Amino acid sequence: MRITRSQMIKAFCSVLPFLIVIGLWELAVDINIVSSRLVPSPSLIALKFHRLITPKPILLDILCMSFYRLILGYALGVSVGISLGILMGVSKFLDRVFSPLLSLLISVPTLAWVPLLLVTLGPGEETVIIAIFLGSFFPIVYNTLNGIRSVSKHHIWASHIMGADKATVFFEVLLPGSLVSIITGLRLAIGYSWRALVGAEMLAAGISAGVGQMIYAAKAFNDVAAMFAGLVIIAIGGLLLDRLLMDPIERRTVEKWGLVKER
Amino acid sequence: MKVKQILRSSLLFLTPVVLLLLGWEIVATLKIINPVLISRPSEIFPLLYKMIMPKTRSFLGHSIFLDIYTSLYRLLYAFIIAVASGVGLGMLMGRNKFVYRFFDPLITVLMPIPGIAWAPIFMLWLGFGDPTIITVGALAAFFPIVYNTAAGVRSVEKKLIWSASSMGANEKTIFLKVLLPWSTPYIFTGFKLALARGWRTVIAVEMIAASLFGLGFMIFDARDYLRPSIIYAGIIVLVVIYFLIENVVKLIEKRTIEKWGMVRS
Repeated sequence: MRITRSQMIKAFCSVLPFLIVIGLWELAVDINIVSSRLVPSPSLIALKFHRLITPKPILLDILCMSFYRLILGYALGVSVGISLGILMGVSKFLDRVFSPLLSLLISVPTLAWVPLLLVTLGPGEETVIIAIFLGSFFPIVYNTLNGIRSVSKHHIWASHIMGADKATVFFEVLLPGSLVSIITGLRLAIGYSWRALVGAEMLAAGISAGVGQMIYAAKAFNDVAAMFAGLVIIAIGGLLLDRLLMDPIERRTVEKWGLVKER
Repeated sequence: MKVKQILRSSLLFLTPVVLLLLGWEIVATLKIINPVLISRPSEIFPLLYKMIMPKTRSFLGHSIFLDIYTSLYRLLYAFIIAVASGVGLGMLMGRNKFVYRFFDPLITVLMPIPGIAWAPIFMLWLGFGDPTIITVGALAAFFPIVYNTAAGVRSVEKKLIWSASSMGANEKTIFLKVLLPWSTPYIFTGFKLALARGWRTVIAVEMIAASLFGLGFMIFDARDYLRPSIIYAGIIVLVVIYFLIENVVKLIEKRTIEKWGMVRS
């Protein structure tokens, strides 16, 4: 893939504001407009990153632990969410059973569950993973259900008339028809999971390493540089999850199959 | 006929909820899971009643309305700050290309950071309690407002602005008569998202920025005493309050922008 001139200019334009902000920030700290004890200079934050990598790759441990939890919780949310969404979309009975419960529980902020999980499951890995599960489950189940419901009845009837059995209707009509909505749910859910991960890691005291834990531990030492380093990791991680994970999935599936217009 | 329908739909809604509570009660009574850890409905609802009734002194030592009030005024202050700064910057971004190009990448990167991750930094700067909780709540609510306001102003057709200015409208008139009315639905969407995000963030930050009162603090504090029933009661209150906020917003939307015919399909 060749990078054209206009793409390079575009990339430069979106990096430029960061360079300006970082430059001004560095200047403000260096000439003591703001105290460096309260606001670390960008170079100090960069040094923090250096220390996180060189003698021992602590950063790698932190990221591995966080991603391990994220993947476990998200996978759980995806599998349970999509299955329940499909079941509710197909069966009127299950829809009647679960809809009231979901509509009540969906408005609970994910982090409000964490104190409860801390009591029930203890301050360890399980709490963080279940919090991520709860964060991703609701958008996925909601969007899957909406997707199945949005499939036109005429299409289902038409395929019935042409002799399709239930399995064929499901795989050839319902599933493709709801895929755009399901993938929207997956995309929303990865953002929700990332947020839940950070929050739960901050609140669960018994975990060994993680991005949220790093920020929270820095609080005890008033280590502002570490807190900002954590924020940088969270921002970049969230952005990469969205762009590197979800964009290709969207391109390979719904855009390739012509279900949505390419952007 | 109408009464029958309402009865039917509420019965349909309540049956699964009641069944779930019954199952939960049975699991706790038979000690399939330790009831100290999961609590039980027969303990939660009397407790909730006690918390709401002002005369009886519950475990909290104060009425739960103090917690509700505290969380709500924090949300309100955070929202007001976010609206004032967010609409202002959003308008500027919508009107000026360079302002937009400068802030758009910054907002794209900063928006996904969860509010609670900012909390330790602001606790260091502003201390415990209200200042930190309100500031972080405002920060979380700020982004959706800026984003939607800028999108709204940018969606105004150039022809409208040109024709207004060719008819002799100055910048102030264009702003008040063209830009603001046209982008109001977008701004309102931003407000709705901001309220939801602000609410979540206020509750979350209350948990770590020790604050004495507030719903988030209440449920997080109950964890120390191993009292899951208080946490459940708190979650029920959270659901009810969010439901009320949502309906008030819907009512305002109906009375204002829908009535003024601003909702476009």
